[in-house]
Amino acid sequence: MRKTLLYVIFLCLVSSGILKGQDTRIDFVEYTLDNGLHVILHQDNTTPVVGVTMMYHVGSKNEAPDRTGFAHFFEHLMFEGTKNIKRGEFDRYVEGAGGTLNAYTSQDVTYYFVLLPSNQLELGLWLESERLLHASVDSTGIATQKDVVTEEMKQVRDNPPYGRLLIETVSRAFTDHPYQWDVLGREDHIRNAEDHKFHEFHKRFYVPQNVVLTIAGDIDTEKAKKLVNKYFADIPAGTEEIYRPPASEPVRKHEVRDTVFDNVQLPLVLQAYHIPEIGGEDYYAVDMLASLLSRGQSSRLHRSLVDEQQIAMAVQAMPLALEHPGLAIIFALPNLGTGPDVLEKAINEELEKARNELISEFEMEKLRNQMENNFVNSNTTIASRANNLATYHLLLGDANRINTEIDNYMKVTREDILRAANQYFREDNRVVLYFLPETEK
Amino acid sequence: MLKITFITLALVILQLPINAQLDRSVPPQPGPPPVIQIGDYETFTTKNGIRVIVVENRTVPVVSFQITLDIDRVLEKEAKGYVSMAGELMKTGTENRSKREIDEETDFLGASISTHSRGMFGSSLTRHKKPLLELMSDILLNPTFPEEELERSLRQSRSALSTVRTDAGSMVDNISSALLFGKDHPYGEIVTEETLDNITIEKCRDYYETYFRPNVSYMVIVGDTDVKEAQTLVEKYFGDWKPAEVPGHKYQKPAPPEGIRVAFAERPGAVQSLISVTYPVDLSPGHPDAISTSIMNNILGGGIFSGRLMQNLREDKGYTYGARSSISTYRLSGRFNARTEVRNSVTDSTIAEILYEMERLRSEPVDDETLDLTRNFMTGSFARSLESPRTVANFALNIERYGLPDDYYATYLERLNTVSSEKIKKMAEKHLLPDNTYIIVAGNREVAETLEKFSPTGEVEFFDPFGRPLDLKDQEIPEGVTAENIIEKYIDASGGRQLLEKMEDLTVEMEASTQGMSIQTLTHRKAPDKYYFSMSMGGNILQEQIFDGNKGIIKTPQGEMMLGDEEIEKMKLQFMLNPELYFDEMGLEVELDGIETVDGKNAYRIFIKSQTGIERTDYFDTETGLRLRTVATQESPMGGITQTTTFSDYRTINTFKYPFKIIEQAGPQSITMEVIEIRMNTGLENEIFKIE
Repeated sequence: MRKTLLYVIFLCLVSSGILKGQDTRIDFVEYTLDNGLHVILHQDNTTPVVGVTMMYHVGSKNEAPDRTGFAHFFEHLMFEGTKNIKRGEFDRYVEGAGGTLNAYTSQDVTYYFVLLPSNQLELGLWLESERLLHASVDSTGIATQKDVVTEEMKQVRDNPPYGRLLIETVSRAFTDHPYQWDVLGREDHIRNAEDHKFHEFHKRFYVPQNVVLTIAGDIDTEKAKKLVNKYFADIPAGTEEIYRPPASEPVRKHEVRDTVFDNVQLPLVLQAYHIPEIGGEDYYAVDMLASLLSRGQSSRLHRSLVDEQQIAMAVQAMPLALEHPGLAIIFALPNLGTGPDVLEKAINEELEKARNELISEFEMEKLRNQMENNFVNSNTTIASRANNLATYHLLLGDANRINTEIDNYMKVTREDILRAANQYFREDNRVVLYFLPETEK
Repeated sequence: MLKITFITLALVILQLPINAQLDRSVPPQPGPPPVIQIGDYETFTTKNGIRVIVVENRTVPVVSFQITLDIDRVLEKEAKGYVSMAGELMKTGTENRSKREIDEETDFLGASISTHSRGMFGSSLTRHKKPLLELMSDILLNPTFPEEELERSLRQSRSALSTVRTDAGSMVDNISSALLFGKDHPYGEIVTEETLDNITIEKCRDYYETYFRPNVSYMVIVGDTDVKEAQTLVEKYFGDWKPAEVPGHKYQKPAPPEGIRVAFAERPGAVQSLISVTYPVDLSPGHPDAISTSIMNNILGGGIFSGRLMQNLREDKGYTYGARSSISTYRLSGRFNARTEVRNSVTDSTIAEILYEMERLRSEPVDDETLDLTRNFMTGSFARSLESPRTVANFALNIERYGLPDDYYATYLERLNTVSSEKIKKMAEKHLLPDNTYIIVAGNREVAETLEKFSPTGEVEFFDPFGRPLDLKDQEIPEGVTAENIIEKYIDASGGRQLLEKMEDLTVEMEASTQGMSIQTLTHRKAPDKYYFSMSMGGNILQEQIFDGNKGIIKTPQGEMMLGDEEIEKMKLQFMLNPELYFDEMGLEVELDGIETVDGKNAYRIFIKSQTGIERTDYFDTETGLRLRTVATQESPMGGITQTTTFSDYRTINTFKYPFKIIEQAGPQSITMEVIEIRMNTGLENEIFKIE
């Protein structure tokens, strides 16, 4: 993220939706312009606010191995100005109009959003069309953002305790797929990149057919369509092939186990299991299994490790929701005096149980209630609805999942969860890492 | 008629090319501003004294209940932490349910319930609101405070506390609390291992009994319900809650420091400094200055990217990922805080820029464009915040709690948009105090010296991670202690002059693992200064260094390099066996420079220097006399690199004391070596030290 990178690991990126049978269906219209730009419009006039958002289908997985961090770095550059917007003015236009703005980059997408008072819709469209059509970054801007991104790497990844959790995990979990590097990428790749490389990146990925424009909030759908046409219809389609890596990671056959020494005080145990992609058939069962393990204080890992054995301070299990097959990560922080091996053994015992025994009807009902509650609460703001519509369209090819995704969870059976536990949460399908204090070296 | 048709046609024709040739060089004009409406709320008071605020909102089938105690903060003194512990423990057992049952029932509903020292919160789908309230009521009215849950919770707290030492944010928070408010103010108390030891279940229970009372409580209900239903529900589930008199407490208002005070906490290995420029401000919620200081703060570094700190430190200089400031208003005191994280080398420049931007607002009037931008931004933020029904609830709660006028929020935008540039300058003069502030930094030790210039006395005060002063500079060197007798004490502690003088040779084998690979080192020293060192990995030698008493050489698989005379002189101390015996003869200058803490131990700092280019700082334990650390600067192609060697785990071999754990740190890299074997007086052959 230009301003704050969303570290997927710390967010429970369970996708959102709205309850079946409720009158809270989210209505929207969608269409595609001749140049390939996909447009989603969601009208909700409750609050005089409009969100204008662009989700580009480019993330760190579209990068070359010797150019890691480009997608995220590019996100920073997109705030530097355009042909018609001077350096530093982008923020001023939005904030001066009473709006706010930000962006994030993930492994799969780059997302820009502007929230404005609804009378400023056209300003939002002008700004985003400028980004798409006229991005122009001078060498001063590039040099400054190289410094800023370097500081971001330190602040969120290299300096804080456990900041390197994700990169140390993916670099071992993926051997072939570009998920093996993190979104921030390597400092030297960014430092050494020549200015023209960034222009090439824009030309390839920042084209109408590689982005979805989502407008949500206090709009008149018909008027909004006209304005979208005005600012976007004449932007030429891109001519280069858009690089999309294959979902190439080979099936893991052996456990990988390693120790990382870091500037931390307490050891941390982490297991990462290869799981299906978001929307994949077993994804929902895996997600519910993760909830079974660690959502709420009555969850299995929390109860066993934190409450009963009292060996852990905290424990968490979560799937990374990625476009290609990703990881489910389980990690635990011990109480003082407990070794990482003790923690890992306790985690393994719970997984063993999940592989051997069908979960109870009671637990299944609990999981359904949790999922339902989560859905209702994850779609309450204009900003979250815009983000979810765009994500569903880009990654699952169907924006209407915002209304129907809950069904996929409700279909999951106890047997599905048992099967998922056996198929994915296996020893030979995982990476195990111990993060130890440097002093224990 | 014809004319009109013609004109219409002309307009249509004209419009087409206008659309096609959209002028992208100018921003579009906004439409008429939308009306900003603040939603409604209703209030009532129950028989037992709960003030209830209800905000009806049917957009999603969710309802939430929040209980807030309107009480004064309590001084916790030697048992700091028990108040928040009391809040946490409420949810761990009631007369009717164990913790396990509470957790199970909450999770089964997919609901969330949290308790804290001044209230609780619960939320669920509308259809689960009754079981939710049944649980909340049981937790609020019948907690049992199980002893074993306190033990469990304390164990977790101790573990969490141990992480403070590597967390710059916690360090700075602790030091801020200690400096701004002090131990006699509830905002200034800090949880430490010692205060955790003093927490008892009686204290927790007593806090609950005293302060959790309906007559000091607000209940805020938001969502899929209405006031009529709320009345029934509150009466049913909280009607039995017994009122009682609740004591109040008064505290002195904290004041900003007399001048600038600079505070520093060391975070070893840090690659960034966390900087906080902060002091208490005399502002409470609803204060007449609140809105205008809020605008002023937004211009400086509030939540906008156009803020001056962000533009200056990030967009202009590239020092940081982000820089923000805040002026908060709490009941007992407000607080100014400008905070950022920057790379070590620009720590002092960053502080200078923060102080400059504060001063600039005091001396220069803000231009109209900036003022407009900021007011517009705040108007927009206000409008956006109304999307959440919780905002209206919070407005209502603030009006009640802080005694604000009923139309405080209804007239907020009006007042916001009449604040002038002159008023901003006045507010800056009054509330921005670049000459009366704390500058608090957590980071790498090397940064501390660069901060002296900000302090009128030149003093940087050192603190431990829990905000306790370390008094480095104030520690007086005891009378009679000199550099010479510290060296002599070290010789004694190592085994005595006699033993060291008789020592003929010493061999040390060490091992380190780095990135999963293990490295072995072998060092031979023969009196007085013959030296052999090798480093190998998996049996392959990576490097050798040899000094035969006259000549020196460094060998690597890539080639060999003879050492020049100058280099040999600089490395002399490294080559020698027990060089401390010969400091006098070598004509070394030794100077006792002060006392400093090394890994929690007090140490004498001795500066060692020679005409021939030796320069090193050694730290000797004031208690045991043993050497804890040496710091030297090595030349490298990238400039001087500070090399720090830390010694610990001293063990005795016969009567000789030697550190079995040695941590070498050069720049950001660090490697920990452990002694595998150590041999003395084995009659090492000169052959070993031979240079071909």
